Amino acid sequence: MNRYRFCKWSRRLVLLGWLLPPLATAASLFGDENLQIHGFLSQGYTHTSANSWFGDSSNGSWDFRELGLNASYRITPKLQISGQLLSLTAGEMQDGSPSLDYGLLDYNFANFDNVNLGLRLGRVKTPIGLYNDTRDVAFTRPTNFLPQSIYFDKVRNLELSNDGLQIYGDLLTDWGDLLFQGGMGKPVTDENVEYAYLGNDWEGELSGDFFFLGRVIYELDAGRIRLSATIADGDLDFEPGPTDPFTNGTVGIQLRVLSFQYNAEAWHFTTEYMQEDVIYRNLGAFRPDGDNTAEGYYLQLAHDLFTDWEIIARYDVSYLNRNDRDGTKQEAGPFGIPAHNMFAKDWTLGLRWDITPAFMVRGEYHWVDGTAWLSSRENNLFQTERHWQMFSLLASYRF
Amino acid sequence: MEKRQDRTAGIPDRASPWRLPLAPVLLLAFSLLFFPSRQVFALQLITHPNTDIEEISRSTARAVFSMRRQIWPDGAAIRVFVFPDKHKLHKAFAKQLLGVFPHQLRRAWDRKVFSGTGQAPDTVQSEAEMIEMIIKTPGAIGYISEDNRDESVQILQVE
Repeated sequence: MNRYRFCKWSRRLVLLGWLLPPLATAASLFGDENLQIHGFLSQGYTHTSANSWFGDSSNGSWDFRELGLNASYRITPKLQISGQLLSLTAGEMQDGSPSLDYGLLDYNFANFDNVNLGLRLGRVKTPIGLYNDTRDVAFTRPTNFLPQSIYFDKVRNLELSNDGLQIYGDLLTDWGDLLFQGGMGKPVTDENVEYAYLGNDWEGELSGDFFFLGRVIYELDAGRIRLSATIADGDLDFEPGPTDPFTNGTVGIQLRVLSFQYNAEAWHFTTEYMQEDVIYRNLGAFRPDGDNTAEGYYLQLAHDLFTDWEIIARYDVSYLNRNDRDGTKQEAGPFGIPAHNMFAKDWTLGLRWDITPAFMVRGEYHWVDGTAWLSSRENNLFQTERHWQMFSLLASYRF
Repeated sequence: MEKRQDRTAGIPDRASPWRLPLAPVLLLAFSLLFFPSRQVFALQLITHPNTDIEEISRSTARAVFSMRRQIWPDGAAIRVFVFPDKHKLHKAFAKQLLGVFPHQLRRAWDRKVFSGTGQAPDTVQSEAEMIEMIIKTPGAIGYISEDNRDESVQILQVE
């Protein structure tokens, strides 16, 4: 991205920065305590030693921007409506066009002494692991880029949100809280999903059928210890265009995630493990029927320094096929795709500074072996470099 | 609700301290060892004068202030008021009365606000503003230091 475009964008951001806080206070000026307005904006800079990630990063990329604006209104004590608009710019993967991140009606129909039961209808955030629900809000993420083993950015829309119905139940007890969400919904897919599972943006369309989604979280002492298990299970249906090499078939996905987090006063330890079954059926000779299991995990330790700084270290591992972790079978296969595209081992070291409660900057450095989570939209997989490093700087504002 | 709420370090139970279970005593000793210089404030949970409740368990208070419990037993909406995250009363309140760290509350609110599954508490800047908001908002709950006891709000005892 050239200097002119950057200047233009930074001016716009500064302008937004002036406009947003009055907007937030406007909600209270309406005098309606049932209405809340919140939002965030982030600008990132990414520089890699090789390969492309969120833009032309080997020359330094500013193509990482997140803008979000949400409103919620409590119609009655038990009924809330809420929605969030999101614009994400992520190199070749996301162009910044605004989309509805969620838009839902939440009916908390049963409220006992220590039990809540309710129903959500509409576009709901897909509950996965510990970070997915607010993955685009830099303040709620541990690092500028979430661990790609589980929160893949190259197919983010598969995990992002879904159109459907969700039931939730909270059991709040003296020995901890049990939080359950389960539902059915169609993931809001985009062309990145086609790139990831079918290798290109085809004329036809790969769209999400109804997925079964479920997550249970156990929290001790309001989050000192957090344990969670997630499943997501469903099919993506491919409707071929006239020139496409595939026939009318499905890509089945089953995702399983286990999560653990321990929060002390100044130390935070987090680990998550993920398996994703990908099942190809009836797509024709160019994508024979087959099953494949991707696997990933990470270990992360964060420490609060003074009151406004946090230092973080993480080791994140991704395998696109757990039966071919080093990628040798893939390389020996018909397409000869270099082996290092099948895995990625990422050491990350980051430093976050909360300048004010509403303004934050974070820098991080990644040492990566492998290119499994790079997008083929930004990279020619035959020309990627196996060993690469990344520096990322991000400033974020919230209200 | 039930007895035996203080499983974490906090204000010691008023009744017979020698009958406290071992775990909280150890935790308290531990926290004193690591954070010896923290000031202890005497704090008070307060509600709107018409609220029909005089006692609350620590786990219920936690659920209310982490925005997981949104409705009073009579069906009215709970309105939560807090001081900013870094305010000394907020820090003391979170740790002593709820037995949680302020960052845990912040994360719980952010998760709700930015996923469309709930709302954040309202923030006030001073104890005078806190009392004013509690008096004029039906269903309101908040906290003040004990020196600022005000007859016009209702005191809520944490069991």
